[in-house]
Amino acid sequence: MRAVSGQGVLLGLLACTATFGWADAGGQVRSFRADILPILTKAGCNAGACHGAATGQGGFKLSLLGYDPEEDYARITREWAGRRIDVRRPESSLVLAKPSGQIEHEGGRKLPRQSDGYAVLRDWIALGAPLGNPEFFVRSIEVEPREIEFSNTRSNQAMKVTAVMSDLSRRDVTTLALFNSNDDGLAEVSRHGVVTARGRGLTSIMVRYGGEVAAARVSYPFSERRGGARDFPVWNEIDEHIGAELHRMGLAASPLSRPGEFLRRVYLDVTGRLPEPHETREFLSQPDSPERRRQVVDRLLRAEAFTDFWTLKFADLLLLGGKPEHAQAYHRWLRQQIATRAPLDAIVRELMTAEGRLADRGPANFATLAVDARDWSEHAARMFLGLQIGCARCHAHPSDRWTQMDYHQFAAFFARVNREGETVAVASRGEVDHPKTGKPVIPSPLGVRPDATNLVEDRRQALAGWITHADNPWFARSWANRVWKHLLGRGLVEPVDDLRPTNPPTHPALLDALARELTKSGFDLRHLIRFIASSRTYQLSARPAGNNAADGRLYSHALMKELSAPVFADVVAQVTGVPDTFEGYPEGTRAVQLISPSVPSAALDVLGRCARKRSCETGASGSAGLAQALHLINGSTINGKLRSGLVESALSMDPGVWVYSLYERALARAPEEQEAGAWVRLLRDASDRRSAAEDLVWALLNSREFGINQ
Amino acid sequence: MKSTWATSGSRSWRCDGVARRDFLKLGSLGALGLGLSDFLRLQALSNPGSVPKAKSCILIWLDGGPSHVDMFDLKPDAPSEVRSQFRAIPTTIPGLSICEHLPRTAKVMKHAALLRSLTHELGNHDTGTRFLLTGHRPTPALEYPSLGSLVAHQSGFAGAVPPYVAIPGDAVGGDSNAARAGYLPGAFSAFSVGRDPSRVDGLGLPEGVDFSRSERRRDLLRRMDEFSRRVEEGAPARNRDAFYEQAYRLLGSPEAKNAFLLNQEPAAIRERYGGGHLGAGCLLARRIVEAGARFVTVVDTGWDTHQQIFKELPDSRFPGSGKLPALDRAFASLIEDLRDRGLLETTLVVLMGEFGRTPKLNSLGGRDHWPRAGFVCLAGGGVQGGRVIGATDSHGEVPSDRPVSPPDLAFTLLSLLGVDPTKELTTPAGRPMKILSEGAVIRELL
Repeated sequence: MRAVSGQGVLLGLLACTATFGWADAGGQVRSFRADILPILTKAGCNAGACHGAATGQGGFKLSLLGYDPEEDYARITREWAGRRIDVRRPESSLVLAKPSGQIEHEGGRKLPRQSDGYAVLRDWIALGAPLGNPEFFVRSIEVEPREIEFSNTRSNQAMKVTAVMSDLSRRDVTTLALFNSNDDGLAEVSRHGVVTARGRGLTSIMVRYGGEVAAARVSYPFSERRGGARDFPVWNEIDEHIGAELHRMGLAASPLSRPGEFLRRVYLDVTGRLPEPHETREFLSQPDSPERRRQVVDRLLRAEAFTDFWTLKFADLLLLGGKPEHAQAYHRWLRQQIATRAPLDAIVRELMTAEGRLADRGPANFATLAVDARDWSEHAARMFLGLQIGCARCHAHPSDRWTQMDYHQFAAFFARVNREGETVAVASRGEVDHPKTGKPVIPSPLGVRPDATNLVEDRRQALAGWITHADNPWFARSWANRVWKHLLGRGLVEPVDDLRPTNPPTHPALLDALARELTKSGFDLRHLIRFIASSRTYQLSARPAGNNAADGRLYSHALMKELSAPVFADVVAQVTGVPDTFEGYPEGTRAVQLISPSVPSAALDVLGRCARKRSCETGASGSAGLAQALHLINGSTINGKLRSGLVESALSMDPGVWVYSLYERALARAPEEQEAGAWVRLLRDASDRRSAAEDLVWALLNSREFGINQ
Repeated sequence: MKSTWATSGSRSWRCDGVARRDFLKLGSLGALGLGLSDFLRLQALSNPGSVPKAKSCILIWLDGGPSHVDMFDLKPDAPSEVRSQFRAIPTTIPGLSICEHLPRTAKVMKHAALLRSLTHELGNHDTGTRFLLTGHRPTPALEYPSLGSLVAHQSGFAGAVPPYVAIPGDAVGGDSNAARAGYLPGAFSAFSVGRDPSRVDGLGLPEGVDFSRSERRRDLLRRMDEFSRRVEEGAPARNRDAFYEQAYRLLGSPEAKNAFLLNQEPAAIRERYGGGHLGAGCLLARRIVEAGARFVTVVDTGWDTHQQIFKELPDSRFPGSGKLPALDRAFASLIEDLRDRGLLETTLVVLMGEFGRTPKLNSLGGRDHWPRAGFVCLAGGGVQGGRVIGATDSHGEVPSDRPVSPPDLAFTLLSLLGVDPTKELTTPAGRPMKILSEGAVIRELL
């Protein structure tokens, strides 16, 4: 634990000595759950590394972060013949003597004798350790301030946490809440909720109490100079949000990208291809304008390559795979949805509810993702809602509000499906049992009270309706976030499949606006892409300017993006004019068109293609850095394509013209004078012009500028 | 090439309830603002010059959870629903008997130490593997670096051979990030040699390209990148550079390259180790370690025997090709070979998996995950041979003596390899982080 600053200590002491008001020796303790358990949570007793571990510690197990008050109460008061507490001599209770260090405790001194928590616990034991009202619990928590802004003159902020109880009473729980920073490098938070600035930028603090969670955003602008008119031109609503935040954070924006830079970027982002030389020439020959750039976007949205590329992206998301005849049907269906502009909600509804033979009814394959209803529900939550609920299978989610019950009620929607051999069908039986009670749970969407009367025959229909409903808090937002990330290089929420209240977006209003736009358009993917790609924000240069070099979250400049394995393989084929050949596919098939990663390709594997065993959305799918470099240098992807028409033409063309055309093909720009000069000289001086041309092409394809989308 | 240049600090989701951090900031050499040459300089300054007992480590990872009660911790007196159908045969450690399908291993046991009381509570492939390979319980907050990456980080890239090599790759524990670089820069992730141990892609020059041409190309690339300063300093660019530099170091050293060529090894030796993946992998590991690598992982999958264990382990599909015979040949050959070459003192060999298996057989004739008991077999690199440490109860369910936790094991391995586990590293987010927050050296091994 970092040392708390002096100011923090002072604030901490003040907080500790404040009266609680709700629990004192006068017997005001109303429930174990609401008054005693939080003390144990704050002291760390039920943390995952301590008694909250799956098998507890030293024979004493508590539920992780107190998600099961009933069980915890029984263990503390009745287990071990009730020796953990001693009503007549409270201070001899093990549950006090150990954490206060009076008896040897491997976990250390977690609850000092002088602390308020110790006193409350002691007094409670003296009263007979009553359970109190088990229905009295924390309904929600409020955090103040919700937005913390640091500056040169202010680098500390004490937070206040208020719990709203089940009877709507309110209490100050600052001293018992758990605080964590989402980025220690930017802001730290002490045990007492004092936030200290550590670096400039934007982050958030996660607060937890009584099974409820909340977050506060923390910002520390990059410069103090904020007066004067905002100078971020607005092309559409997106720019308003981005510009406002840049202004608030004192960040300069980079200039607009050059036309060639924009062209290459948008082609790669929207279709996974490079512009052909004539397309580049055509675009660069006319004066640049937002309108002309929008026309490019529109053209790309209508291209066949768009369909290929986005089918691949969806297939990766859905982990599309399985037996060849199943995968083919699935892929065929998926491609058709993209090609015919099927709304995203319709696609998801079909995936969720399809039945039939896997080789005939493509979307039915979605049901083969998992055998267990619970595993399947986790996939669905991640893919369609951007939620990670897996933790809640075994205990309450530690950083979101999902309880085990929530989890299993959600999973119950997936219970009545038969996956027999080659067919998927709705079953009339099948339940998910709550692990503790062993009894079936009523299916209920996340955050919704279960209502047994609303059950329909195909549970999945009901769930699909809820997921795709316009009011669903996550559906539109998670799609919007994913598409945003693809185009801008970073999600408004990162990771993209982790939309929880304790992981707030960098631009909450913008995310809502994107979600609205998507919903309004009828969940039209192309519409959303157009909306984002038409913004000035999307079209900024990747080159830093002013003070924005360190910014990676506020979109003050475009972010560099890597090319995915299939895209890289395809653009190498495109530039050299030498297509790849894939087993079982006609010649000229591009890597993005492959149905699944089971198509053998050692090159694509080493280039890091998504294996679709788990999500490839977040970070490294494999750390094959060195292996990849070796492959690019010596392996087949580049070296296998040097014998090409491209290189041959160097023998008959004027070197200057050839070099120009090479740059045009590969980089969508003309070579600079220095570059052209050097390579023309190289070609002219070479005794073996063919080898020299091969080497030049090799170098260009290995170059940073080629391999990075910026 | 999605994300292989980027941070290897990718998030995985486990339930220990600590705040999230921004992984895009973690794990890029670029975020440290270092080029390799800067880095090497820093390394030279920080190395206190301590001489580790073990110069290198070969970790044979039995992915899936090897069954302790059928391999190294047999309980012949337990009831029929628990005890192994394999017989117990004596070893060269008096009093120790192991599975009959590991006869060659039984002979070399006097050079090894067997730990039988490894215990933890994480029964999932993903979490268990990460606990064992990083010494930390996984949390959603931070991806911890694997032992291999820690050792690579400490030793840097002084040699041409990458310090951390994974055979065939670093996907373990259901493709978790257990064997990866965690919050350390991606440069310290393992070099994966690929599926075919007899052919490592990219080490040979392409047809028609000799060494001098390869050098000319390299120079051309450098000039090209310099000209197009358009691609400003960003993490993807810097990481890419770091890996290219490593690649050229490797390519420029014939000794280093040859280490990866299995066919340079005499046929008799290749035969001795056994022709399958595990045998070839162990032999390749020996060569790579001889050439200067510090940590080599050989991953053998298929140990997650939830059914038909007595059929699958000794003999899956064809006689003699089962997992146990293959392991027996590979492991024993490795130990003997290292001994013959005088390398065993300086090479730490570790044999383990993410957990043991349920002592009580399940309804499919197999065993399920059982993290409460497991074995680790160690040899060389400062480990005293001929010892048995710890024991489990009559059924092999819980340790009855000297329980050892994964952090203890990690602490011990790192210490033997000259890495101080109490040392603080700084994550790129600026957070100081002790390499290990708990654990102590298992003294009985030394």
